Amino acid sequence: MSDILKGNFTPKKQVTKPDDTIDDDSIESKFKKAALNSIGGSMVYVERTDLTWDGEE
Amino acid sequence: MAKILFINPVVREEDVPRHIPYGIALLAAIAMKEGHLVQVYDANAHRLPLDTIIEVCQADDWDAICIGGLTTTYNYIKKACKLIKESAPNAQLIAGGGFLTSMPHEIFEWIPEIDVGCIGESFVTFPEVLKKIDNKDVNYSDVLGVIHRDLTGKSFLTNIRPNIKDLDTLPWPAWHLFPLDIYFANSSNLFSEESFTSKRRMDINGSFGCGLTCKYCWHLGTTGDMLVEENDNGENDVVFTYGRNIRYHSADYIVSMVKHLHNEYDIDFAAFIDENLMTMDVASKGTWLKELCKKWIEAGLQPTCRQQGIPHDENCKGVHWNGTSHAGLHRPETLKLMYEAGCTHLVYGLESFDPTVLRNLGKGSNARKNKQSIATCLASGIKPIPNIIIGFPEESFESVRNTIEALVELGITAKPHFATAYPGSEWYYAYKDSIMEQYNQDLEAYIMDLGDASKITATISHEFSPMQLLGLQQIVYLKDLRLLDLSEQHWAPVQEKLTPVIQPKMSFNLKTVKEAGPLAS
Ligand code: SF4
Repeated sequence: MSDILKGNFTPKKQVTKPDDTIDDDSIESKFKKAALNSIGGSMVYVERTDLTWDGEE
Repeated sequence: MAKILFINPVVREEDVPRHIPYGIALLAAIAMKEGHLVQVYDANAHRLPLDTIIEVCQADDWDAICIGGLTTTYNYIKKACKLIKESAPNAQLIAGGGFLTSMPHEIFEWIPEIDVGCIGESFVTFPEVLKKIDNKDVNYSDVLGVIHRDLTGKSFLTNIRPNIKDLDTLPWPAWHLFPLDIYFANSSNLFSEESFTSKRRMDINGSFGCGLTCKYCWHLGTTGDMLVEENDNGENDVVFTYGRNIRYHSADYIVSMVKHLHNEYDIDFAAFIDENLMTMDVASKGTWLKELCKKWIEAGLQPTCRQQGIPHDENCKGVHWNGTSHAGLHRPETLKLMYEAGCTHLVYGLESFDPTVLRNLGKGSNARKNKQSIATCLASGIKPIPNIIIGFPEESFESVRNTIEALVELGITAKPHFATAYPGSEWYYAYKDSIMEQYNQDLEAYIMDLGDASKITATISHEFSPMQLLGLQQIVYLKDLRLLDLSEQHWAPVQEKLTPVIQPKMSFNLKTVKEAGPLAS
């Protein structure tokens, strides 16, 4: 947890950075970033994770 | 004293946060100097969910919440303002920066939550607005340089605020209010070996404005390029001109600031965010950069690799730096001094190598100077970083060919940007009608679409469609003259029969005259 407000006085309420939102550094997100950055040539990145047809058009 | 919250909006979501917002940091320092209570929420650095703003706005009883940035932060600002007003309805919501100055009335219509906005240079306007808020007086009609509302929400622009004369009277930005570790973690960039290995880079700003008049560039009042005049309806609106109030910090101010950053934060790299270092040097009759380099070295900021004439490595001490240059205005002896003082790379907005494009651009350069600039810069030891654009209004197969041939000759590989009409630029006002046609008359949709010009938003090319421009971008990247010839063979005869859909028009907001806004005495 870290303070996200910085200033020259102490505010009434402390605002902290929730642990689970501290930088999304999961393998999946790292891979997505790296893949999108190297698109070109035969490199493609499939954004969808679900290709199941649910019957609706 | 007023309790003020500054919010730095998210910029370039697809990239990591790289720049401490210089303007916000400076205004925070000014507010603190005036005795106000200040907090900063740097949304760009933290990248937390949008609704964190609610918690931030409820962390205290703010008298004012301030938000601002360039047009490319518009999407975030719009969403943020809604949440701010809902969660802190008693705070005055103040906006400022390029996104507002370029189109104040439109922004006030699109974001009804904003109470008051500072137009153009805000160093004096902003503390005056805060003083009003502190006195519980929210009638801003007697403050110069603001846009405000009447009770029905209708916007009014007051008369122009003069630019300050002496930049050295400004305090240093309040860097300590920003999460520096996040920015330091993203110090490295791919422009030079020294910047690639940088671990603690910070931005500095030595000057405001540029004497040139490139049609894609905007200065938004900071160069003395803005007037406020009555339009046909008798309402004040902004007018942009070729007028200039050229101002730069003294070498002493800059060097002592960098020395402070080096001692306090251990910076190893200073990136000048000035619009154009060379035009400032010209304005000083060639003395400014020389003095800066001399004092940089005297202050002990010269990197040891340059001092000892050895290759740069991880043991190097001192502060490397970079900035912007100009193909026709740099001088070999100045570049040499800059190299010695630690300059690693200079960005050159070469844009094109075509005579017609360059003549119309207002850059004061030509194809010969553009070509020579690369060799001159390389000879000094500094790396040139040339910027290339395609999709100019007068772009043709011939102009693209001229650019590719020069890139081949100079050994440059570039994936060009697309000519983009950012609000505040001459192109924007000249092509506003054509842009609106391309966005179904929804100007806000265009503003929301704007990024860093690496994608096509609205085209302003008279001859080429988006489909062709995308192809031409790839052909320039590949430097493939055969493909260009083939494309011309197919398309040129067709294009002769087409009428251009994109056409420039006169606009109230743009006057191509050298009439400068006022300068404080
Ligand atoms: S030289 Fe650079 S800063 Fe000056 S007007 Fe042109 S693009 Fe803008």
